[in-house]
This record gives sequence, structure tokens and C-alpha cells, in this order.
Amino acid sequence: MLLDFEKLGGLRPFLIGLTVVVCLFLILPIVFIAALSFGSSQWLIFPPPSWTFKWYQALFDDPRWLYSALTSLKIAAIVTVLSVVLGFLAAFGLNRGSFIGREALRALFLTPMILPVVVLAVALYALFLHLGLAGTTIAFIIAHLLIALPFSIISIGNALEGFDKSIEDAAILCGASPWEARIRVTVPAVSHGIFAAAIFSFLASWDEVVLAIFMASPTLQTLPVKIWATLRQDLTPVIAAASTILIAFTILLMVLAEFFRKGRKA
Amino acid sequence: MAVVLSATIDGGQRKLRRDGSFGYVVPALLLIAFFFIVPVLVLLMRSVLEPAHGLQNYAELLGSTTYLRIFINTFIVAGLVTVVSVVIGFPVAWLLAIMPERWSRLVLAIIVLSMWTNLLARTYAWMVLLQRTGVVNKMLIGLGIIDKPLALVNNLVGVTIGMTYIMLPFVILPLIGVLKSIDPAILRAAALCGANKRQCFTRVLLPLSLPGIAAGALMVFVMSLGYYVTPALLGGTSNMMLAELVAQFVQSLVNWGMGGAAALVLLVVTLVLYAIQLKFFNPNRAR
Repeated sequence: MLLDFEKLGGLRPFLIGLTVVVCLFLILPIVFIAALSFGSSQWLIFPPPSWTFKWYQALFDDPRWLYSALTSLKIAAIVTVLSVVLGFLAAFGLNRGSFIGREALRALFLTPMILPVVVLAVALYALFLHLGLAGTTIAFIIAHLLIALPFSIISIGNALEGFDKSIEDAAILCGASPWEARIRVTVPAVSHGIFAAAIFSFLASWDEVVLAIFMASPTLQTLPVKIWATLRQDLTPVIAAASTILIAFTILLMVLAEFFRKGRKA
Repeated sequence: MAVVLSATIDGGQRKLRRDGSFGYVVPALLLIAFFFIVPVLVLLMRSVLEPAHGLQNYAELLGSTTYLRIFINTFIVAGLVTVVSVVIGFPVAWLLAIMPERWSRLVLAIIVLSMWTNLLARTYAWMVLLQRTGVVNKMLIGLGIIDKPLALVNNLVGVTIGMTYIMLPFVILPLIGVLKSIDPAILRAAALCGANKRQCFTRVLLPLSLPGIAAGALMVFVMSLGYYVTPALLGGTSNMMLAELVAQFVQSLVNWGMGGAAALVLLVVTLVLYAIQLKFFNPNRAR
């Protein structure tokens, strides 16, 4: 009765109404920011008096915005590659190995996800100050890699879980070397997991704020750090434009991820 | 022929077994060891070594009313966000669990999209929406509900709205699975035995979904405790949270001893709650 959609009775309009409100609550701020980024008002008045591209123009005219976006892209790209390679090796070892402490190790690899990011950020900041790496690209890459790696291990681990290992064994019995079998049989078979790992790793790095705030220097900052620093001064619509670009990029990657998820089913 | 084949299989299996799977884990393990375990341990050690050996940092942290207020505020915000998220999230998860799939997929897409949208972009949206001249205040005045704009940002209200917005998906998504796994026949049985709708809800549906609610609530609570960006932007100076305190000690005060001590407090609370969640509400073990 309560778990039958058709027989909910008076509860049905209530639940549907609430869900619609929650959906609006989740989606409207995003739409609102996108709309405001094309609005002419400096004071973010909604609805805006007229429509304009001037905030995007201001964004692209300022080399610092462009530079921070490129920095974000570069770091996220490197992090993605490293995260997928290390994640594949780790997931492979965890999936195949029978060594002692395997489950503990799996848990350890996932802890950067549950630990408060501030603790990790502050600890890494101290280490990089000590090593003289504070404010360098290397510091950014290592910090973001720690956050991205769990996503890779989970995605690729799940894919390996669903892969029949005897196919790889068959290739070896047919004369392939273990590495040949892995690269030519196993890797293609779990490619959907690898693509998912790449997209989630990229997003984890691209969207990371807290670690980036601590890793940044005045000359080297990612797009979220630039937004953060600007936000602390004022709410200029240029941030709305930058946010809209971030959001558009995220949607694009989500659609890609969905595409790969569908590809696996087919 | 058979001998040759079995020899090949034996050889093959030996080759497979010798591959030493642990070796594959080593690169990731080195990364975690050098850049995760070591720095966190060093930070915690500095909390008892700087400026002098001993527990004076902890004594100061736990003895001062200023810091005590920050601890209390952190728990109040996390608790408030948890309660609001569960109260709003439960009915949504309930509907999603039973509604026709083509509709639920649309709603799920919206939830996932909002989850993956940049945190700063979403927080910025609320800063603009909730400001004194923002859309929310204008709407409330336009509807005649209030005369003067309400203070909705730089206070507890702002943080709660902004964080609930972020945490809602983390309650809804796991709850859908829990609600889907409840057998509708149990509720039919309850109805046949004479239970009315309210009794069915309070005595059957709610108790059966309680483990899922508790797990989701605990997760949101733990995540909220350590949040930094949203409280820093939507909260005021008078209601700082623990994560901001850690950052402030290190960034503006350059006091690594106190920063480490505050970090340890945050870390211990998080790990204890996480352990409780794993022990009592592990969804993988429940079924």
C-alpha cells in the first residue's frame, strides 16, 4: 500500500509535490547562475534589465582568469593519467592478490575520501613548505592525485570484479606473456571502468577547492582558487561567467561518463 | 597428449601464481605513505611538540570558551544540516523508490548533476540568492510575507541552507536502495491485519528503513563536521566551524601546534563516527 505507487492515495500528491520542490531547490541555483552570467546588472539583479556577453568578455580579456583555467586543465590532465595508471595497478593487485592485509590496504587507499580535506590540506602544506615545493605544480599534482586515486581504484576495481579472469588465463595458456595478456585482453575488457576512472579523476582535480587553496601561490592558482579569491572581495558577475563555464564543462563530462556507462551494457 | 596438456596447464598456473600481486599495489602505497600517512602523523606530532613538549595546546583548545563555542557551533550546524536533510530527503527517496522508472531517472539525473556541479559555483549561487537584495528576500517581500529583508547570509541560516543543499543527495541516494529492498508484501500484510495508513508507516515502513536513515544521517553528519568552503563563505565570523579554525591557525596565525591539535580533534571525531557507521550500519553487510 505505502510502497505501491498506484495506491498511495492522498500521500501521492504530497510526495510528488515535495520531490518537485526538492528538484527545483537542487537545479534552480545552477540555472540562476547561468542566467545571471548573461545579465547586464553589476548588482546581480534578477531578472536582469537586459542581456549581455560583457562578463564573458571581461573573463577572457583578463589573462589571469585564462591562465588559471589553463593551470586547472593542465593539472587535471596530468592527475588523470597518473590516477588511472596507479589506480589500475592498485586495483589489479587488490583484485588478484591474496596477500595478508589486503582488505586493510583497500580501506587505506579509500581513506582520503572520508578524512576531512582540511586536515589533509594543512598536513600537505606543512610537508611541501619543508620540502620547498609549496606553490609548485608538483604540489598541486600530488595533492589532487590523493583525492582522485580512490575514484580510480573504485571504478577500475568494480570493472575487474566483473571481468572473468579465465579469459586472461586462456591467453596466457595460448602463449601470451602475462603482460601481453593483461594489456591486450584485460585492459580492453575493463576499458569502461578505465574511462569512468579518468572522468571522475579529472573532475575530482578540476573541482578541488580546499587542497588547491593551500597549494596555491600568488602566481600559480587553479580556476577554483581564482574564484575563491575573487569571491572573498566581491560577488562580481564575472564569477557567474566563470562558474557557468565550470558547470558546462562538468555537464559535458557527465554526459560522456553516461555514454561510457551505456556502452558497457550494449 | 593429455600429459603434455596438463604439463602446460601446470606451467601456466605456476606462471600465474608467481606474478606477485602485491607488487602492483606498491606505487599507490608509496604515494599514500609519503604524502598522506607521514604528513598527517607529523602534523599530529607537532601538536604535542610545538611550541614546547606537552599537552598545553590541547589544554588551551579545550579550556577556552572561544574554542569551546566553535566546537559547539560545529556540532549544531552539522546536527541541523543532518536533521533537515533527512526530513526532506526521506520522502523524496521514498517516492523515487516506487515511482515509474522513466520519471525516477529524470529526478536522479537532476540529483547527480547537482552533486557534481562545482561546489564553489553552487555556494556562490546561494551567496547571491540569499543576499539582502537577493531573489529570496525580494520574493518574500513581494509575497507580503515580510516587510524588511531578512539576514539570510553570514549566519547560521545561510550555512544551513547552503550545506543542506549540498548534503541532500548523500541522504537520498543510499535511502533509495534501502527503501527498494523492503518487501511491499509486509505492508500489505500489515494492512490485512487491520493497520491503518499511519500505523503502517510508523510501525512498519519507518522501523524497516531506520538502518538506512541512520547510515545516511551519520554520513552527512561526519561530512558536515569537516566542511570548510561553504561555512567560510555563507557563515559569519561569529559562527565559525572547526575546519575553518584549523585553516586559520595555520594560514593566518602560523601556529602549527594549535593547528595540529584542532586537526586531531576533527580527525578523531570523524574516525570514531566513521567506525560506528562501519560497525553498525554497513550496507554491504546488512544483506
